[in-house]
Amino acid sequence: MEIIKQLLLILGACFAGEVISALLPITFPSSVIAMILLFVLLLSGALKEANINKVGDFLLQNMSIFFLPSAIGILEHWGVISGVLVQFLLICLITTLITFAATAYTVMFVQKLMNRGGRHD
Amino acid sequence: MINALTASPLFGLLLCFGTYLIGVKIQQKLKTPLANPLIIAAALCIALLLALDIPLENFKVGGQYITLFLGPATASLALSIYRQFSVLKKNLIPVIVGTAVGSAVSMSSVLLLCKLFRLEEIMAKSLLAKSVTTAIAIEITAQQGGLPSITVAAVVITGIMGAVLSPYLIKMLRISDRVAAGLAIGTASHALGTTKALQIGDIEGAMSSIAIGVAGFITVIFAMFLG
Repeated sequence: MEIIKQLLLILGACFAGEVISALLPITFPSSVIAMILLFVLLLSGALKEANINKVGDFLLQNMSIFFLPSAIGILEHWGVISGVLVQFLLICLITTLITFAATAYTVMFVQKLMNRGGRHD
Repeated sequence: MINALTASPLFGLLLCFGTYLIGVKIQQKLKTPLANPLIIAAALCIALLLALDIPLENFKVGGQYITLFLGPATASLALSIYRQFSVLKKNLIPVIVGTAVGSAVSMSSVLLLCKLFRLEEIMAKSLLAKSVTTAIAIEITAQQGGLPSITVAAVVITGIMGAVLSPYLIKMLRISDRVAAGLAIGTASHALGTTKALQIGDIEGAMSSIAIGVAGFITVIFAMFLG
């Protein structure tokens, strides 16, 4: 009963996300709209953590299995990737390093600016 | 005979659950992010399909029911952001500026490297969202007209690289600020990197979890301007 209620709420938010996504003039992922919707409902108190935690935590903790069919889809597109495998791996590595450094240094710079601003107060 | 039996939706479901459990067991034994359950399960499934000459179409009959739950799983990220809300509020400006710059750098470096390596446009479209969590990355790829399976491969490989490399990067780049370290891990390598961030420390773990959702959201916004 409890699980059914929680499923109803989470799937309901997803369906609402699809409806909103279809109505929007821009393309925006419906699951991200559903995420924002649930977050706002939680913040406003209209939805309690206990209303969706059982199904929500199950989905979060086992998230990677839901990607398995898409990952196996690589069989279909192996032709696209097999010839450029080295470039593919290099892109993954290099962009991960650059993104890490850019994020970390930006955050440290912002923290420094904010601390300096704080001292003037 | 095999063709008829594997056309049942139960075949794809059983194959997914079974191989994934084996993957989880192997990771629990080896305790390294290199032994990723998703990669092990995918390799086992592919090996079995190829060895027994089972058409991918048959697997998809059951597989689609598992993919269906990607949306609800993404929506549930709201729960984890909500739980970190007090940390998020305290560091709101560093979180937004850091993940925005990181996401922009990730996307532009992908496009630049694809050009440099003279890759087909479909690769650039499939790799654009590779630093964000798979559920959001797949949606962005679909909208850009890329190939979701390539995105999944890139996202998982990126996540594993982030999980393995981040402790060394923190030292080598002299990241003295724990908030900065956590946000960098989550922005560069989403949920898989976050598993490592949680081991490094509670602040790093919380900031990394927040970065999964925020960087995902910001990447969606940036991708809209490219699409």
